[in-house]
Amino acid sequence: MDFSLFNTSSTRKKQHSFCLFMCACLFILSSHSVYALEVITHPDNIEQLKQLEQQQKLASVFAMRTLYWSNGEKIRVIVLPDDNSVHQRFVKEKLQLFPHQLRRTWNRLTYTGTGQAPITVDSIAEMQELVNQTKNAIGYIDNGESHE
Amino acid sequence: MVSPMNKFTLTSITFLCCLLFSINNVIAAENASAPANSSESDDFKWADYKKPWMDDVQIHGFLSQGLFSTSGNNVYGKSKDSVSAGSTEVGLNISYQALNNLSFAVQGLYRRAGESTGSEGEVTLDFAFVDYTFFRHQAGRFGVRAGRIKNPWGLYNETRDVAATHPTIFLPLAYYERSRALYVSMDGGQLYSDYNTDVGNFTFKLNLGLTTSDKELLAAITANPAVQGSLTSDLSLLANLNYEIDNGKYIFAFSYANLSLGYGGEATDPYIDFTSKIDSFMLSAQYNGERLSLTAEYALQWNQFNQLPTPYPGVKIDISPVSEHWYVQAGYRILDNLQATLRYDSSVQDISDRKGVAFNQSQPFLPAHIMFTQDIVFGMRWDITPAWMLRAEYHRVHGSSTVSAFDNPDLTQQAKDWNIYALQLAYQF
Repeated sequence: MDFSLFNTSSTRKKQHSFCLFMCACLFILSSHSVYALEVITHPDNIEQLKQLEQQQKLASVFAMRTLYWSNGEKIRVIVLPDDNSVHQRFVKEKLQLFPHQLRRTWNRLTYTGTGQAPITVDSIAEMQELVNQTKNAIGYIDNGESHE
Repeated sequence: MVSPMNKFTLTSITFLCCLLFSINNVIAAENASAPANSSESDDFKWADYKKPWMDDVQIHGFLSQGLFSTSGNNVYGKSKDSVSAGSTEVGLNISYQALNNLSFAVQGLYRRAGESTGSEGEVTLDFAFVDYTFFRHQAGRFGVRAGRIKNPWGLYNETRDVAATHPTIFLPLAYYERSRALYVSMDGGQLYSDYNTDVGNFTFKLNLGLTTSDKELLAAITANPAVQGSLTSDLSLLANLNYEIDNGKYIFAFSYANLSLGYGGEATDPYIDFTSKIDSFMLSAQYNGERLSLTAEYALQWNQFNQLPTPYPGVKIDISPVSEHWYVQAGYRILDNLQATLRYDSSVQDISDRKGVAFNQSQPFLPAHIMFTQDIVFGMRWDITPAWMLRAEYHRVHGSSTVSAFDNPDLTQQAKDWNIYALQLAYQF
C-alpha cells in the first residue's frame, strides 16, 4: 500500500478530530480525578467552608490548628484511617501535607491532653453520614468511590 | 507532715473537681430545661443527655513493651549478657471538651523501668488539668491550664512515654531516663498562646509550678544509690517557643527551664542542707519531608549543687558543672510504614571536664567514663497498622553517664564501651 494514501485531507481531518476526542477524554478523566476528592461539611456550615477555602485554611483545620468556624463554634474534624488510600490522597493533594505530619500533630494533642484528635471513621459512607448528622463537622469524600 | 508538693497537688485536684462539678450542674440545668417545654416531659430519655456529652469526650491510650540485651552495662533490669523485658508503659487518658473554651484532661500512666521502679512498676498521674481559653479566633488563641501539665521541653519530652511519637526505642540522651523526673511534668499552671500566620504557626507555652522528683534523679546527682531522703521542689519555670512552617514540615523550637530543688530527710542525713538550681535551654530543629526526616537538638544545662557531702566526713562542697547534650538524626521512610533511623548522640556531664579526667583525679575510685556518653544508633520502625508498631535498634555506646544507678549499682564496675540490642512492640489508640 502506498504510504501517501494516509495524507489525504479527509484522513487528516479524521486524525484531527480523533486528537480532539482524545484530548476531551483526557480532560474529562483528569477533571474527574481532580474533583473526585471533595471536602464536605454539615449543611449549616457550607458558607463558612467557602470562607475557609478562600483563606486557604483547610490544612490548618485538619492539623487542628484552626479550631473554630467564623461563628466561634468549634470545628469537628472527621477523617479516615492513616493507611486509607483516600485519606493519603486527600492529605497530599488537597492539603499538600503528608499523613505522618498530621499524625505527629494529632499525637501531641492527644497524649498531652492539650487538644482532641479528629474523629476517625472506617468508610466514606460512614464519613458522609456522620458529617451530615454532626453540627460543625468537616470531612472529605472521594466522589468516584462513593458512586460505586 | 504534708509536704508542700502534696498540699499543692491536693489543692489543684480539689479545684479541678469543684470546677468539673459546677460545669456539670450548669450543663445539666440547660439540658433539663429543654424536655420540660416539650409534650413528652414525663418520659426521661437517656439518649437526649448522653449524646451531647459523649460527643465531646475522647478516650485514648497506649502501651509498649521492650526487650533488651546488652554487653557491659544494664538497661531496664538485668540485660547484661542476658535478655530483660524491664520496660513496660501503659497510659490511658480521657479528655472532655465541656464548652468551646473549656476542657478537662486526665492521663494515668503505668510504668516499669528496670530496678528504679521495681518489677511491679509504678502508677502515676501523668497529667490532670483544666484548660480555659480566654481568647479564641481563627488565627489563634490564648489561655491557661491549671493542674499537672506536661513540660514542653524540646521536641519529644511532652509525649516521651508514648512509643509511637518518637523514632527510636531510646530517646536521645538529652532526654535520658535518669533525669526524666526533672522535666516530665509540672504541678501548677501553664499560660499558652497559639498564633497562626501566613508564614507559619507560633506556639508559646509557659509552665510555672513544682517539678516532680524521683530517686533515680537523686542517685544521678549524688552518684550514690543508697541515699535515704528525697528531693523536694521549689517554684520552677519552663518555657517553650515553637515555630512550624507548612504545618510541621519545618519545626524550630527554643525551650528554657529554671528549676529549683531541695532535700527532705532526717536531720542527721548528710544531704539535709543540699539545694540545687538548674538553668537550662534547648534548641531544636526538624525537617519532615515525605521520605526524609532530619532532626537536631542542642541543650546546655547550668547546674548549681550546694552543700553536697564528700567522702570526707563533715566536708561539704558547692559545685556548678555545665552539662551539654546534642544529637543529629536522620530518618528515611523506605515505605510509608517502614522507617530507618540513624543518630549520633553526645552527652557530657561537665563541659570543662569532657573526658572525666579531673573527676577521676578528685575521686580516683570512680571511672572517668561515668562523666560522658556518646552513642551511635541505628533503628528500624515498622508501623504494622496505624495502631500497632514494631521496632528494633542497635546502639554502640561509649561512656556510661546516662545509665541507671539502680540497674548498675556498682559505679566502679560500669563498662566504657558497650552495645545495646533492643526490640519494642507498641500499640496506640
